Amino acid sequence: MNRILVVFLMLFVAGAVHARGKADSGKKKAEQVCVACHGVDGNKPSTPDQPVLAGQHYDYLVRALTDYKNGRRTNPIMKAFAAQLSKQDIEDLAAWFSMQKSLLHDQR
Amino acid sequence: MPRFLLSAVLGAALALGAQAALAQEKKARKKAAAKEPAAVVAAAPQEVVGDAKAAHDRKIAMCVGCHGIPGYKTAFPDVYHVPKIAGQQPAYLVAALKAYKSGERSHPSMRGIAASLSDQDMADLAAYYGTPAK
Repeated sequence: MNRILVVFLMLFVAGAVHARGKADSGKKKAEQVCVACHGVDGNKPSTPDQPVLAGQHYDYLVRALTDYKNGRRTNPIMKAFAAQLSKQDIEDLAAWFSMQKSLLHDQR
Repeated sequence: MPRFLLSAVLGAALALGAQAALAQEKKARKKAAAKEPAAVVAAAPQEVVGDAKAAHDRKIAMCVGCHGIPGYKTAFPDVYHVPKIAGQQPAYLVAALKAYKSGERSHPSMRGIAASLSDQDMADLAAYYGTPAK
């Protein structure tokens, strides 16, 4: 019984991690839109005050981009870029960036 | 006639006194001007230098309850993973905290926390959590 539960839990977690975005589409979008400031894999911020995106949580990235798009976050640069992204684009980009390796980590 | 003389003398004395006072003021101003550049240099490192140890000893308690738990999710107003901040760019961490403080970013918990932080606190926390990207 416990084993079955664990399997279900793992499936659930795996599903949550992969969610909806498609990483390969996200990569293409990143090459067009994000690369200049964040680098293709989200690991090369062009200035110190820009974030590393690589390895960030999928759902946080979706949330941040959505907030920029709808104006809940008011950064003028990001607003302009997020405005041209569809919901699908945002999920694809989040899938791509969240899968890249980086120094970002949860605990310290 | 003596009255005229008296007022002339008084006038001259006053004028001399005023001149002396003016000269003194000028000197003081010059001194201040000479000091100013040094003062500006000392105060100008517009960037507050962060002290990771100060953050560790006194300031991260308010962060670890969410950002120190792997996989932790926000509970309000929506549910999603809190961002990973360890290993992030220090200057970005400061920028994000300032955006919460000013209201550019709206997350209620983070607005409350950032509002309580000074520039020095932010720099300290950024020094503690951040790693500049190469």
